Amino acid sequence: MSNIRDANLHSDEEDDDDFGEEEEDPRPEKRQKRAPSDDEDDEEDDEEDAPKSSGRGKSRNKSNGANEDDEIEDLEDEDDDEDEDDDDDDDDEGPRRRRGQRRAHNPFLDTMAEVDEDDEVDDEDDEEMEADFIAPGDDDDALRHRAGDDRLHRQLDRQNQADFAEDLEKVAAEMRDRHGGRRGHRLGDASTVTPKRLLLPSVNDPSIWGVKCKPGKEKEAVFTIMKKVQDMKGTRNALNIISVLERGQSMQGFIYVEARRQADVLNALTNIPNVYARSGMILVPVDEMPDLLRVQKKAEIMPGTFVRFKRGKYQGDLAQVVDVEQSGQILNIRAVPRIDYGARDDGTDPTGKRKRAVGAVRPPQRLFSEAEARKYHERDLTSTRRGIFTFQGETYEGGYLVKDVRVTALQLENVNPKLEEVTKFASTGDGNESLDLQALSQSLKASTDKYAPYQPGDMVEVYSGEQAGMVGKVTRVRADIVSMNVQEGPLKGKDIDVPFKGLRKRFKEGDHVKVMGGSRYRDEVGMVVKIVDDRVTFLSDLSMGEITVFSRDLREASDSGGMGTAAGKYDLWDLIQLNATTVACIIKIDRESLKVLDQEGATRTILPSQVAAKIPPRRKDAVATDRNGSDIRVEDTVKEIAGGENRSGVIHHLYRGFAFIHSKELQGETGGIFVARTNNLATMIAKGGRVASSGPDLSKMPEMSKKPGGNMAPPIIPRQGGRDRIIGQTVHVRQGPYKGLLGIVKDATDTTARIELHSKNKTITIEKMKLGFKEGATGRILSYAEFVQPKKGFGDRSGSSTSYGSGNSSAGGSSWSGGRTPAGSSAWAGSRTPAGAHGGGGGGARTPAWAGGAGDGGRTPAWASGSKTPAYGANDGSRTSDPYRDGSRTSNPYRDGSRTSDPYRGDNDGSRTSYGQPVGASGGRTPAWNPGNRTPHYGSGEPGPRDSGTAWDSGSKTPARSLSSVNDQWNDSYGNNSSTTARTPAGYNATSPEFSGGYTAATPGASGLSAPTPGGLSAPTPPVSAPTPRANAWDAPTPGGPTTAATPGASGGDNRRYYDAPTPQAGGYSSAKTPGAWGNDDEDDAPGYN
Amino acid sequence: MFFLYDLERTITLHPYYFGPHMREYLINKLLTDVEGTCTGRYYIICVLDAYNISMGKILPGSGLAEFTISYRAVVWRPFKGETVDGVVTAVSKLGFFANVGPLPVFVSTHLIPADVKFDPTANPPQFSDNEGQVIEKGAHVRLKLVGTRSDVGKMSAIGSIKEDYLGCL
Repeated sequence: MSNIRDANLHSDEEDDDDFGEEEEDPRPEKRQKRAPSDDEDDEEDDEEDAPKSSGRGKSRNKSNGANEDDEIEDLEDEDDDEDEDDDDDDDDEGPRRRRGQRRAHNPFLDTMAEVDEDDEVDDEDDEEMEADFIAPGDDDDALRHRAGDDRLHRQLDRQNQADFAEDLEKVAAEMRDRHGGRRGHRLGDASTVTPKRLLLPSVNDPSIWGVKCKPGKEKEAVFTIMKKVQDMKGTRNALNIISVLERGQSMQGFIYVEARRQADVLNALTNIPNVYARSGMILVPVDEMPDLLRVQKKAEIMPGTFVRFKRGKYQGDLAQVVDVEQSGQILNIRAVPRIDYGARDDGTDPTGKRKRAVGAVRPPQRLFSEAEARKYHERDLTSTRRGIFTFQGETYEGGYLVKDVRVTALQLENVNPKLEEVTKFASTGDGNESLDLQALSQSLKASTDKYAPYQPGDMVEVYSGEQAGMVGKVTRVRADIVSMNVQEGPLKGKDIDVPFKGLRKRFKEGDHVKVMGGSRYRDEVGMVVKIVDDRVTFLSDLSMGEITVFSRDLREASDSGGMGTAAGKYDLWDLIQLNATTVACIIKIDRESLKVLDQEGATRTILPSQVAAKIPPRRKDAVATDRNGSDIRVEDTVKEIAGGENRSGVIHHLYRGFAFIHSKELQGETGGIFVARTNNLATMIAKGGRVASSGPDLSKMPEMSKKPGGNMAPPIIPRQGGRDRIIGQTVHVRQGPYKGLLGIVKDATDTTARIELHSKNKTITIEKMKLGFKEGATGRILSYAEFVQPKKGFGDRSGSSTSYGSGNSSAGGSSWSGGRTPAGSSAWAGSRTPAGAHGGGGGGARTPAWAGGAGDGGRTPAWASGSKTPAYGANDGSRTSDPYRDGSRTSNPYRDGSRTSDPYRGDNDGSRTSYGQPVGASGGRTPAWNPGNRTPHYGSGEPGPRDSGTAWDSGSKTPARSLSSVNDQWNDSYGNNSSTTARTPAGYNATSPEFSGGYTAATPGASGLSAPTPGGLSAPTPPVSAPTPRANAWDAPTPGGPTTAATPGASGGDNRRYYDAPTPQAGGYSSAKTPGAWGNDDEDDAPGYN
Repeated sequence: MFFLYDLERTITLHPYYFGPHMREYLINKLLTDVEGTCTGRYYIICVLDAYNISMGKILPGSGLAEFTISYRAVVWRPFKGETVDGVVTAVSKLGFFANVGPLPVFVSTHLIPADVKFDPTANPPQFSDNEGQVIEKGAHVRLKLVGTRSDVGKMSAIGSIKEDYLGCL
């Protein structure tokens, strides 16, 4: 034994020296300094040799010759080497010589004179070499001698063997005695336990010094010292040290020597290579001594542990240890194979050389498939037993590759198996195993827990050690010692200290527990159903699945399990929005992910960050309709009756047409949740027999007894055709973020307006209702509704009356009102419209006129036409405009007119209103209006014409006159209120009536003016055949325009003239058939006018 | 186990209901509110009588009146270790569910005698020891509660039939 060690040491030394030589080379000075000590070393070596050989001499007696020889050779070698070492050291100054060269040196040739010292050494070398040379070539004598020796030796051996055999029994008994005794002794020791802390070193114990040495040489130094100790034992210079140790891994570059005195240490370390005792020693403090000896436990390899391949095809793959060979050097492991079944060759090319798998794609991990293997490589496949195959030299068991692998080829620490990887190994057994493999591996890997596994209040049980079986409650935890208060047994009530090791938590079936740390089931809560040793199976409250974990990972749960997860915002069975079209119900919450069931019935695992929104639980009264048309609500029990599997359950969520239903019978991956369309469901039980059993809600008033009323719906503003009137208006924003700002309406839809703000260069879209309109005249701010539908005011009424009511309200009108329009319409309708339209012909003109806004142009014609009866008609069309435009144009007269009578304005407004209205419509009204307005005017006008402008101006009044005048005339023909009408105002109101009447007669009369128009228009035709027609004619076109001429005439006339004309016309009118006169009149009038 | 508890409940009443039938309303409301509910610790099976109805107190601000009603009720409180009878509602390979009155109880396979095995091929699926003991949906079982769990407004429990005299009835 010692020989072997020596040899090993020796070779090590030699190698190391070679290495050291090169290493030290760059520091020759240092070497030189040390040179003398080397010499000393030599001397010492010599000294050492003496006792050594003597010691060996002793041993020689004991052991046989062969060994002796070897030993001697070894010794010699050693000496040689030492010499060589010295040589090497000394050689430094001279040219460098390689050992090999030196070896090749021919001893018989004196090649060159070398440095004297070297020569000496070389000589020594040579001598040795000679010896070497000679040794193998022993002469015959020696051989003979040896043979004899051999015989003797064999004899001795046999003798020894015989003795040995005899003694075997004895020896065995001895051994038994010795070891058995020792064991007993030990046990005795253990029973009289000395507390650990009493064994700790004190100041009275020997001290330990740390001494620097060359890193990596610690072990070697220790051995050297050991040898030295042995060698010196029993001599005068026996080393007085107690122990030497090194902590190569954790404390590189140090060895530790235990001794009483520092001098002893120094003495022991003198001349020990690679130990730098003189460069300083560190006294290890007493309290750190135990730490020095603490052994860092290496990962323990046990069946079930996970490891990783370090290299090869499976590099990085996870494997599970199945068995550990006794030596601990070879592990039987199980891994998921990577087989390329399709590969044609078996990895060797035709030359028989092994192919290098360069760039070869690594086949994916897949369990072994017999079928595939058979398909491609039938020959290579053999099956020994059921489920165990040999394929291409590898063994596969249950689909896994089973293999013996050297420990060195495996990574044992920091394996960190990932869940996916582990699950590949978890499918063994009954497939139902939910044993927490990760926890298993982790628990094996890291005994240093990041969390304290025991906390005060935990019930614990001691399962190993002398206190096994003790049950108690943790009162305190210090480092890895637990103080527990014993709850059962004879020690009840006592406090004892127990180390973590040998302690486990104790649970009882039915306990409500929560998983605390280290496990992937962390934060699961459930009730314990089974306990085997320290494995606890519990039924999760959430998934209703069974989970097995170590009891160390469990705590009793006081609460009913809030999940303190990263996904903490979400609860099981929450409804979440995944994207615009997808909702899903959470069916499982893990620490970092959610498992959801979406509305299509698909399950997926998502991260909490992928959840767009959580859909808050609907009001409980959210109702859907089932297949039978009954209401179903959340928490109702329903059954699938179509398109499903007759599942039934309780509705958790209703979303659009989908119901998320929880069924107790359905376990499995969705945790009992399934999704169904509500129209495939039928109600089984409505919650709480919803059938009005609940009686009245006593905290509210019954609905029935509430009075109807309350908030009215916002007024509906009739849509109006044409361009939106608000466009172009300057408005106030009355609500919203832009409240108070002023802007101009640029565009509008039915409900919104786009407003260009004055204050900000921005165009906003805003509801019309939020706008305020400034009323031109009063500066009042009107709401949209008010703006669009002016308050019923005078004007309004008039307006309305005009249009429809006119007839109604105005007595006269009554007949008319209906009549009017109708009148106009009925007979006229066509005509009227036309009339309006009348504009038709003229209308065409007019309208355009209108549109033209130029009123004049438009009107003119209108007027022109209108001027005459047509004018009226025109008025119709024009009327609308007329009032205004006319006003503008005729301006004076009209305006006057308008002005004259404030009411008119009102009217005007009204008319305006009507304005907005389509011609036709307005036609109806307008006329009325206009008539009203105009009538007077006209009337006046009529007279006016005569009177000329003046008359006009007086317009308002005029009407009266005109009226009168006209009326007369008209009246004649129609004989209506005309006179009455005369009063403009009256006329107004009258107007309508007049109108109505007017039509008939009224028109003419009436309003001659006002009415006239309409009347004229519509009426015209009929009654006022003449005027109307003309008018019509004017507009002619429409009417049939008898008097085309007129039109022409009118038209013929300049617009202005027309305009002017109108008046004149009016005049004409009044006078008589304007038309005819017209043309002529026009000119005349015009002048007159002007 | 059944108990007779004295309990209290506060009920508010809209002024509309003030009048001669107030008491009726209150009692009615009490019954509908309380009977058949679970407090998380016990189930209120039935209200025996409301022996005291306090004077109503008008709540400032709303005009509702608040009454405190003292009543006596029969309650059922399941206890750990209690032996009860139930009706099986669902059977899966992990165990079976049974309803003990209003209380759903899960009996895990670990808590079923080893000789009573799950038979997934039977229709409906069942636990059976092949000696006449068949636990399938609708079967009546006697079981022992080994753990109860309370939630707000509901309870659940796990049970065991792994003892003498437990199991199918």
